[in-house]
Amino acid sequence: MSANGAKNISVQYFAMLREQRGLSKESLATHAQSAAALYEELRFQHGFTLPLERMRVIVNESFQPWDVSLSEGDEVVFVPPVAGG
Amino acid sequence: MFALSTSPIDARALQDAMRRPEAGAFVCFEGWVRNTNEGRTVTLLEYEAFEAVACSEGSHILHEARERFGLLDARCAHRVGALAIGDMAVWVGVVSGHRGEAFAACRYIIDEVKKRVPIWKKEHYSDGDSGWVNCECHCGAEVHVHAEPVTEAQLYARQVCLPEVSQEGQDRLRRGRVLIVGAGGLGCPAALYLAAAGVGEIGICDSDTVDASNLHRQILFGIQDIGAPKAERAVDRIKSMYPFTIFTPYPERLTDKNAMEMFCKHDIILDCTDNFEVKFLINDAAVLSKKSAVFASIYQWEGQVQVYQPGTETPCLRCQWPDMPEPDCVRTCAEAGVLGAVPGVFGAMQALEALKLLLGRPALPGLLLFDLLSGQPHRAGLKRSASCPVCGTNPTIRSVDPANYGDGLDVEVEGAGEGNGTFDGFEVIDIREPQEIRERPLAGLKSTAIPASRFEQDSLPLSTDGRYLLCCAHGARSKYLARRLRARGYPHVFSLKGGAEALV
Ligand SMILES: [Zn+2]
Repeated sequence: MSANGAKNISVQYFAMLREQRGLSKESLATHAQSAAALYEELRFQHGFTLPLERMRVIVNESFQPWDVSLSEGDEVVFVPPVAGG
Repeated sequence: MFALSTSPIDARALQDAMRRPEAGAFVCFEGWVRNTNEGRTVTLLEYEAFEAVACSEGSHILHEARERFGLLDARCAHRVGALAIGDMAVWVGVVSGHRGEAFAACRYIIDEVKKRVPIWKKEHYSDGDSGWVNCECHCGAEVHVHAEPVTEAQLYARQVCLPEVSQEGQDRLRRGRVLIVGAGGLGCPAALYLAAAGVGEIGICDSDTVDASNLHRQILFGIQDIGAPKAERAVDRIKSMYPFTIFTPYPERLTDKNAMEMFCKHDIILDCTDNFEVKFLINDAAVLSKKSAVFASIYQWEGQVQVYQPGTETPCLRCQWPDMPEPDCVRTCAEAGVLGAVPGVFGAMQALEALKLLLGRPALPGLLLFDLLSGQPHRAGLKRSASCPVCGTNPTIRSVDPANYGDGLDVEVEGAGEGNGTFDGFEVIDIREPQEIRERPLAGLKSTAIPASRFEQDSLPLSTDGRYLLCCAHGARSKYLARRLRARGYPHVFSLKGGAEALV
C-alpha cells in the first residue's frame, strides 16, 4: 500500500477497451474500493464507451461479481462482450 | 482439447485424430469469414483472444459437453489474428456412439464458445470503417432481458393506487403535453420524472451542445455525449427508456418568433432556463397563449419554484417584476457554482407541479423558496397583480415583442444619420444626470435632458406613439430604461448603443 492509502493494481485491456486506452496493460494506483468503481474511474478518465452492464471482470484469474473488493496487488482484467466463432 | 491458432486450421488432421473403433457418429461445424455483416461489406477480420482464460474456458465447455451428451471426444480450434474472406475461423468436432448426441453437442459447443470464451472480433469494412462486433453500443446483438411485452398498467401500478392519481388521473397524464425549455440541470430530471410518470407528449427545447462541465448536473448526458446537441441527445436517451411517451426535440433557441407556435402544441411549459431574457419570454408567451408555466431558478444551494396558471390567482413573473431585472444582476451556474443535486431537487419539483396540474389539482400558491444547505424552506405568498403589464386588467404587453427580452432595443450610431447631427424620426432624450451632461455634452445632437430618476414617477413625459431614443454615458442605463418603458406601454423606445461615448 502506498503512503496515501492508494492500492497498486495491475489492469489488462482487450479489444475495444485496449484501443480506447491505447495500451493493453498498465499498473496504477487507485482508491477505488470495488472493481465497478475502478471501471467507472477509468471509463471517465479514458472515455470508454462500453457501459459496465455489458462487461465482465476477472480478478486474479477468475470471474468475479462487479462489487468484488480490490486489494493491493490484484490483477484486474476487464472483459468486453465476446464474439468468438 | 481447445486450441487457439495463428495459422490456418487443418480440419482434416483434427478429424483424423478423433477416429476410434467405438465411434458411430462424427459431426463437425466450421465457422467461415463471411463478406457481409448487417448489410455492410466486410473485407477483413481480426480476432483477439485473452489466451489464458480462452483456453481454460474453452476446455471447460468441451468437458461439459462430453459429460452432458456422453461423447467419446470433443475438440475445438479457434483462429486468432487477421483472417480473409472465406477463411475458417473456428472448427468444432464431436464423436459419439449415435448421431443424435453428436448433432446436439456440436451445436451446444459452438453456442457456448460464442457466449463465454473471451475472443473478440473486429470487422473491417469496404468503406474503410471498422468495428468490434458485439462491442458497439447500438449493435443488434443486444440481449433483451424482458421478452414479455410490458403493459402500461404494469408500469404505473404504484402511482395509480394513489387516490389523487387513480386510473382517471393516469389517463389525464397520458393526454398531457409538456414543453421543457432548457435541457440542463433542471430540465434533465424534470424530463425523466415526467416521462416515467407516463406523460403522453414531451417537447425538449435547447439550442446548446453538451459540455464536460454540464455532466455533474445534467443527468441525461454522459461523457460519450460531449459535443452533441442537447435536445436531440436528451430525446434519444429518454425515449429508449420510456416507449409510451412521444418526444419531440426542438434543437433551437426559444425566441419571439417560435415561442407562441411551440407553446400552442403543449399544455404546460417548464421554465428550466438560467437567464432572465428567456424566463420573461416564457412568462409572456405563456400568459398570452393561456398556458400554465412552472418556473424554477437556482442559485448555489438555494432555489425557488413558482407556478402560473391562467384563470387562477397564481401570479406571473411580471406581477412581481414588471420589468425584467438586469441580466448583470444575477450570476449563472458557470460563475456562482452549483452542486448537481440542487437543480435535481428543483427540476423534480417542477415535474411534480406539472403532474399536479395535469391531474387537475390546484397550483402551488405563491413562491416556494428552499435553501438546501440549511434545509430551510420558505413560502412567500404572492398574489396576482391587477396592474401587471402582461396578466393584469389593462395589459400593455399584448404580444411577444423581441424588445422586451433584450433584443431590438439598440440603435447603432452608424447608419442612423449622424452626419447631419440628427437621428431621423427620433426624439433624443439624454437621461444622464445634469453634471454628467455638463462634463460631456452630446456631440452635435439635438436632445432633451430628462434624468433617469424622473421616469420612476407615475406620470411620464412621453406619449405612447412617440419614437424615443434614450442616451446615457455608455448605453447600459438607457437600455435598461428603454426595456422598462416598453413594458410600461411605450413600444417605440430605443437605446443609443454605446451612449454618448459612441458619438465622439
Ligand atoms: Zn402577471
